[in-house]
Parts: sequence; structure tokens; C-alpha cells
Amino acid sequence: MHKLAILITGVGLLATAAPVWAHHAFAAEFDSTKPVKLKGTVTKMEWINPHAWIHIDVKNDDGTVTSWMVEGGSPNTLLRNGFTKASLPVGTEIVVDGYQAKDASNKLNGRDITFPDGRKLFVGSNGQQGPPDSKSEK
Amino acid sequence: MQARYAALVSAVIFFATSSPAAEPTAAKSWLAPRTPDGQPDLQGVWTNSTLTPLERPAEFAGKPVLSEQEAADYVKQVLQQVNSDRRDGGTQADVGRSYNEFWRDRGNNLVADRRTSLIVDPPDGKVPPLTPEAQKRVEQARAWMRDHSTDGPEGRSLAERCISWTTAGPPMLPGPYNNDLQILQAPGYVVILNEMIHDTRLIPLDGRPHVAPGIRELMGDSRGHWEGDTLVVDTTNFNGEVSFRGSDANLHLTERFTRVSPDVIRYEFTIDDSTAFIKPWTARIPLNKTNGPVYEYACHEGNYAMVDILAGARAAEKKSAK
Amino acid sequence: MSWRKQIQILLLGAAAVLAPANAQNQAYKPARTADGKPDLNGIWQAMNTANWDLLGHSAQAGQIVALGATGAEPPGIGVVEGGEIPYLPAAAQKKKENYANRLKLDPEVKCYLPGVPRATYMPFPFQIVQSGKYILISYEYDGAVRTIYMDNPGPAPVDSWMGWSAGHWEGNTLVVDVTGFNDQTWFDRVGDFHSDMLHVVERFTPVSPNVLNYEATIEDPQVFSRSWKISMPLYKHLEKNAQLLEFKCVEFVEELMYGNLRKQPSK
Repeated sequence: MHKLAILITGVGLLATAAPVWAHHAFAAEFDSTKPVKLKGTVTKMEWINPHAWIHIDVKNDDGTVTSWMVEGGSPNTLLRNGFTKASLPVGTEIVVDGYQAKDASNKLNGRDITFPDGRKLFVGSNGQQGPPDSKSEK
Repeated sequence: MQARYAALVSAVIFFATSSPAAEPTAAKSWLAPRTPDGQPDLQGVWTNSTLTPLERPAEFAGKPVLSEQEAADYVKQVLQQVNSDRRDGGTQADVGRSYNEFWRDRGNNLVADRRTSLIVDPPDGKVPPLTPEAQKRVEQARAWMRDHSTDGPEGRSLAERCISWTTAGPPMLPGPYNNDLQILQAPGYVVILNEMIHDTRLIPLDGRPHVAPGIRELMGDSRGHWEGDTLVVDTTNFNGEVSFRGSDANLHLTERFTRVSPDVIRYEFTIDDSTAFIKPWTARIPLNKTNGPVYEYACHEGNYAMVDILAGARAAEKKSAK
Repeated sequence: MSWRKQIQILLLGAAAVLAPANAQNQAYKPARTADGKPDLNGIWQAMNTANWDLLGHSAQAGQIVALGATGAEPPGIGVVEGGEIPYLPAAAQKKKENYANRLKLDPEVKCYLPGVPRATYMPFPFQIVQSGKYILISYEYDGAVRTIYMDNPGPAPVDSWMGWSAGHWEGNTLVVDVTGFNDQTWFDRVGDFHSDMLHVVERFTPVSPNVLNYEATIEDPQVFSRSWKISMPLYKHLEKNAQLLEFKCVEFVEELMYGNLRKQPSK
């Protein structure tokens, strides 16, 4: 079988000088022309790799309920930040902002996941958004 | 007399710890503890997250090292640029950012010596030019990927196929998250376990030859030996499936691991691939101690995305065919 | 009779009395690691057909005609003590369904991680690396790997394919308590399965320089009416320069799993 050397894609395609890596192309999975914003209650969370999936039930305007699946990142990140399976109990209300799957199924990427009051659902305990962590530098 | 002596001692300590060199000058006299069988001890859980790019950005051409202020400014700029909590730039960019910044493991800083590239040789901090044949091969591969990226699984990256990540390589380079690895040592072996994708390298130290040339592996065949306090790992027998910046199956990789302090392993790798690059090149990335454990990363078992990407492409084709 | 001969007879008699009738385990004194523990380092492999079927089974034709004898199932004496897997009634029915659909349902077909204890008796070698509070087992099959934590690691933080392993020594035996499994793996190719309440206790005991005695006690109140046990020897690879090679099978199953989604579908 002809083996094609697959390049590490993405080199030089990003403007940023930060390290570039062959990451999962979300643009291939989700449709940028189909933005979705949902409010729903958590029914289940799949702690699996490569991406965790949060299942939510969304009450539609007509009173019916639709189930959606929200794609997150690696749950290993959750574990390292002290989250456990108990951290997101069934029934929690969350707001999800993302883009629908290209195959039109009820899936979206969790582009931004917050509580209804706007607080981010997942916040790093070692302050990823904060000042440099001297322990990890060098 | 005592006060002057004390002042002298503290002055020495001050200069030793504020040196701008890659490692503190104290490191030259610091020796790693030994494992029970006498190997320098590299064991622990380590991460190679860093904001320093592999290649020197154009804005820093001719500038191998940044000052403290320049580094601080650059870090701020980069973190702001890559922060995936940003929602600007239109929907294409937005989808590409995938999810909240929380999920990333970029590291918060440049490497300690504030180099502007992980590449230390050649001195311009860039990957050397490809040979003409390699250039052609790479262009053909790029063109094929462009035209067939959703035809089937082969059109996706090895990472998306859950086959291999650059985190494990080898050589080992940081990825977007889960950049941790564990090093274990037993008599006659050094073992490297990378979280992504649960890849384990079992490196024998007994001087045995490489496997036969007909045996080719994605991660190559590794052999290790100690040169003083530095573990030298020699890897050949690559199958060429991973093309690292254009490398091929002739890649001869040399990695060097030296524990320079309790919390840092100096990791350096040299790419020698004469059918791909016109000359060898070397990069250096510190491995910093971090908390374990290394968690299971069962990638293929949960790879909904592969189905979604291919099904999405088929759905889009059906729609445009109507 | 010379006094020398008398002493010889006396010594032989004493030896006969003192030697244990059972030549296995406790008589054997294994080599020790530098920190004084029995040395399990090495490349090992089971030599049986437990991966086909844990219970005793005769040879059978394979499911893929084109594979001929190479796809046929080899026979096996069985590794289950007592010769019975004690399924609860509903679970016994599920096993029948698993068996009938094993080509579609066996996670091994899709190159999924094998779980524990199946990883032990896959027909591939594995390497044990012992380093103080970590014992790592690296399996050639699919590069599966698990770390046995020897320092009381607490409960499993999350479910996983290979489980969460906590180990301790009892004499010369490494005892490994494995919990935190998901419900996705099978025990063999004929559909023996478990739920996410699976609890496995393994015992690795060196009985000679090149043989470990391996036992695994399996408990799962959602599937079995009581715990049950498998046992088998594990043999050391003695060839010069023995090493694990890559069996990265994900690529081998992409056509199977995604072929129907290709632009030019093969199915």
C-alpha cells in the first residue's frame, strides 16, 4: 500500500509565533455558518478522550425537549485541575455557545461554556488565564 | 571580619542564581542522584510546555535571546494572540479555536534562557532547507492533503486519526494539551511513557544493535547509553509515516537527556536526515517537573470526531449535489 | 557402613522431610531488585488460548471463509478454576448475544484497549518495568500500558479502559487491586464481558527464574453471582535481545471502521 508521508499540518499557517501543532481541525467537524447558542440541563457527561462530551437537554420554544451533545477538551485537563465526576452534577443548568456539526446532527463544539450568570464553567485552578506560573517556566 | 565574609558569600550566591545562562551556574556542580543500579536519576513526571516556538519568528531575525522586558512583552502578546477565549476574527477563526482556553496546556512562559527559538543549530534558529527531492515530496503530500482532506481517514493528520502526536514523537515536542510524560528506570532500561497517546518507549542500555533494517516503526527503534551524566538515545528504523518538518524514513535521531537540577531535564535532539535536510539541525527544550499521575489517554476508542468529520463532508457533498 | 555413608543417608533423609511436597511458589527464592523486592523485570508472555475463550474449548472453524485454517479457533484446556463462569441469568443471555455478534462487538476487532486481565493473555509479549513505587507494564498489543502504583494511590479518579492499579507485596507475590474500569472491554473473543463495577485482584508470583504464576480473581456483582478465578503461568522471553515491537493496529482497522464514510465508499 502506498504510504503517504503525512506532514505535520498547520506549520506556518497561523500568524502567531507560538508553537504550532497538528491539532484536531474543528473547522472540519463543525459548521462555521451554523452558530448555535443553547441553554440546557446536564443529563450526562462522558469522560472520554480525545474529547469529553457533555449531554444536555434543551427545552425548545414549543415545549419539546431536544438532546444535544457538546464537545469539550480532554478530560485529563479536568483531572489535573481538580475536577471530578461530581463537579458537574446531572441537572446543572449551563449555557453553550458553539457551532453545529457539519452532518447536521445535534452536536456542537463547546466554544464557550458558562453558567447562566455568565461565569465560565471551567476555570483553571492554576490560573491559565493569570500571570506566569514560575513553577512551570524555564 | 565575619560580616565581610557573609557579604562575600551572599554576593556569590546572588550572582550564581541571577545568571542569564540557560541553566543556573550552580548546575555545573549539581549532580543528579543515582538510581539503585547507578544510573543518573531522570525519574519523575515532566512537562515540555513552553511558548517558545521551534523556529525563530521573523520579527526576531538575528536576535537569538530576548531581554527580560522583551520576553515579558512577547509572552503577553502571544498569550493574548492564542487565547482561545477570544471570539473575534469571524466565524471561521472562531470555530477553529474550538473551545475555552481552560482546556489548553500551552505553558505560561518562554524557556528560562529566553531564546527566541527552540532550534539552537543552525544559529539562525530555522529548520535547514529541504533537499530538492524532499521539497518535491513535501509539496506533493501537501497538495494531496489539500485535495483529499475529507475523502477518508488518510486525509486527516496522524493526531486526528489517533495514531501519533508530536508530544511522543520522537523527537518530543509540546502539543496543545497533556504535555506530560513519565520517565522510569530499571536495570538496563530507561522507559519514557508519554500521555499522548499512551506511547511507551522501552530503551535498552545494554549496547545491543538496532533491529534489522527491514523492521520499520512509526516511533523508530531506540538504543540508549550514558555519556557521563547524559543519556544519549539513538533512534533509527523509522517508517517515515511521521514526516517531522519534512523528515523521511532515513531519519537518524539523537536525543540527549541531562538532569541539570532537581526540577529540570535539559532535552536536546539532533535531526540527521540527509535525504530530507541539507544539513543536520538541533533543538533544545527543557523538561520541567510537574505533578503526576500520567492519565490514560484512550484516543481511538473515543474518536467520534473521525466519524463526524467524514460524515460531515459526505453531507456537504450531498447538499451541493442537489 | 562407613560413618561417612551414615551421615549421607541421614542428610538425605532430613532433606526429604524438610523439602515441601509442593515444588511451587514458597520454596523458590526469586532474585531481588536493589530495593529488596522480588524482581519481576523482564519480557513475559502467556502460552495458551485464553484470549479465544477462557473456558475449555475445542477447535472450531473461523468466521471468515477466506482465512481458511489461519482463521480457525485453536483448542484450549481452559484457565477458569472450577470450569465455570458464574453469570447471573440476564448476563448469561447477554453473553449469548455477544457470542452471536462477536465479529461486530468484540472490542479487539476494532483495536480497542484490551483491559485487565485480557491484556495479560493476549498472544503478544509484555514488559514489566519495576521502579520503586511504580511498576509499569507495557503491552506490545496496541501499545497498551498501565502503571501499578505501589504507594496507596487512593480511589480511581475516573473510569478507564486499563483500570486503576494499586499494588502491594505479600511475601513474594505482587498483589494488584484493579478498579475504575469502564464497561467496554471483553475478557475473550467469545463475548465474556463485565460492567463498570468490575473489580480484579491479580497475583504475580515468581516460581522459577523464568516463570511467573499468574492468578486473577474477578468480581462484578452486576454480572456474576460470585467471584471467580483464572490462573496461568507466564513465561519469560529468553531469546537474545528480546524486545517489544510496535503493533499499532489503529491503522489496520480504519477501513473496517470508516470505509463506509469514504468519498468513494468501499462498502
